[in-house]
Amino acid sequence: MSLLEIQKAHLKLDNKEILKGISLAVNAGEVHAIMGPNGSGKSTMSYMLAGRDGYELESGDVLLDGKSLLDMSPDERARSGLFLAFQYPVELPGVGGMSFLREAVNSRRKYLGEKEYDHLAFVKEARKEASKMFVKDEMLKRSVNVGFSGGEKKRFEILQMAMLKPTVSILDETDSGLDIDALKIVSEGVNAQRSDSNAIIVITHYQRLLDYIVPDFVHILSDGVIIKSGGPELALEVEKNGYVGMINAA
Amino acid sequence: MLHKKNDEYINSVQNYANSFQKNNFRKVACNDFKGWPDPLEETWRLSRLGALTRKKIEPITPDLKKHISLEPILKDSICISFVDGAYREDLSSKLPDGISLTHLNEEECLSFLSKIKSTNLSNHPSTNSSLSCTPSIIKISIHNNFNLDKLLEIVYLGGIENKSVHPVLFLELNKSSSLSIIERFNHLGSLIMPLQLIEIGELASLKSIKIFNDSIKSYNLSAHSVTLSNKSTYSSFSLIKGGEFTRSETHASLKGENAELNLNGVYISGSKQHHDLTTAIYHDVANCTSRQIVRGVLGGESTGVFQGKVRVAPDAQKTDGQQMSKAILISDKASANAKPELEIYADDVVCAHGATVGELDDEQLFYLNSRGISMDKAREILIKAFLEDIVIQSVDQPLHDFIFNEANTGLSLIIERNEKV
Repeated sequence: MSLLEIQKAHLKLDNKEILKGISLAVNAGEVHAIMGPNGSGKSTMSYMLAGRDGYELESGDVLLDGKSLLDMSPDERARSGLFLAFQYPVELPGVGGMSFLREAVNSRRKYLGEKEYDHLAFVKEARKEASKMFVKDEMLKRSVNVGFSGGEKKRFEILQMAMLKPTVSILDETDSGLDIDALKIVSEGVNAQRSDSNAIIVITHYQRLLDYIVPDFVHILSDGVIIKSGGPELALEVEKNGYVGMINAA
Repeated sequence: MLHKKNDEYINSVQNYANSFQKNNFRKVACNDFKGWPDPLEETWRLSRLGALTRKKIEPITPDLKKHISLEPILKDSICISFVDGAYREDLSSKLPDGISLTHLNEEECLSFLSKIKSTNLSNHPSTNSSLSCTPSIIKISIHNNFNLDKLLEIVYLGGIENKSVHPVLFLELNKSSSLSIIERFNHLGSLIMPLQLIEIGELASLKSIKIFNDSIKSYNLSAHSVTLSNKSTYSSFSLIKGGEFTRSETHASLKGENAELNLNGVYISGSKQHHDLTTAIYHDVANCTSRQIVRGVLGGESTGVFQGKVRVAPDAQKTDGQQMSKAILISDKASANAKPELEIYADDVVCAHGATVGELDDEQLFYLNSRGISMDKAREILIKAFLEDIVIQSVDQPLHDFIFNEANTGLSLIIERNEKV
């Protein structure tokens, strides 16, 4: 059974069909890359999966670990093991990084029937994980994402991923706004979490990220459908010829 | 001023005032008490006293044996208690040498009355009814150069349903003195009409916190007049969370150059509560600064009002006045009104104001939800965050926990109530 299965997903925004029957099966241990030009439906797909208000499917289904996600609220989906790394992480003035992380992690642990962290144990764990992502203590004391640089925001997203230990992670253009050093740190953070029991979907415009997070499968999304699937070589083809030729051929 | 007549209450105030032997100042005051402000009065338009005018109320006769108290917030605080509006020496701390507390004598009361009458509180309902019915006017004076290194805590307790309570306080900070004070209003089901005159002398500094937490059936109509002298500072933070109807009205006059004023406030309102923070800041002289941040969180069917007037006199050049109010509605049936008002007659000034009323931000809620945090918890986190920075800015460290706790208990009540709606 796949960890995540999108079945013929159709979705409209403002009466315009954006997703036109996407199907995708992601198995445990796999990394899938979804590439496509602007407006192809990549971000819509990630919001749909995360359960954002207004992004409900017209028809089709999404199964996480065999269970339909559609009736679950965004927080239930997250507690069930779905994680979305935001393209534009949201600023939360007045909400401290450490308490935010703890609230999130404890919500997930409670759902899993695991013991919730007390304050001290959590701080220790968070600091350990944070140092791997080069997230300084001082950053965890600040309000979430407020005054963070582009790179800091993305590192903080991946730190959340590392601490929540999701079964399926969707990284929505995590490479956008990153310089090469930040890209390496973020990619290493993601790679460290690859395992036989989870799966990762990487959404990106560019092949560059896929040099660092090497996918098992690459899918080309265009105008709301997947027009081509293949191995990592497909990303190189995009890099060489652009999307246009591929879209015309499809 | 237009009034809604309430002969029964007016008569009871007059009878009460006349029951005193020597009562010159009470007579003057009670003759000026004409009832409740009419809703046609601009400053009372958003806070109507209709329900109050229909209540049968009379002034309380303080029970001087009533033994009630509130645990001090800090262990080594200097505590002063008012019960039923009367100062209670037996329930108060011994004061250090730099502070004196006196009951004003008849002559002093008259001069207090004429001082109040020269302010913009002269027609406030609490002015005339409290001057008519107060057990005594209490003056607390901080001597020259005295800096109280402890917290002064004043609690206002007591009250009975259908009785009005009238504590009147004259707080005087003499030259170069400083004081940190917290006042808590915790009355039971009644009408509370506190009247305060605060005079801050040259180079003196007053930090003040007021917590309005009267019972859910109470009306509190507080009236405060503050004057600041040269190089003095007044930093005030009010938290309104109790009462059926609480209005805190403060008039602050900057009368000496280089004076600094902070007049911040938070209201947390639920069920059918009505909370009103009305302020007027008068920049009478040049080179003064005023800062004002107001935040409101409203649930249930509550209503919140912020009226903030800033007046800059023609001579008050180089005035720097900033005002910002924000309210968040967490229920469809709650409403908030903000009425900033700038009257600027000087030309070389920096004055700004902003007022917003809104809901919690959907993007922020979704971000928290997407991390597994439930909608209720996410709302709570964002509401607390909304109040956090104003508390940190307005309150000194040793009182942070207490104020956060007071705010959070208020929030937990209105958030729960909100879910039931």
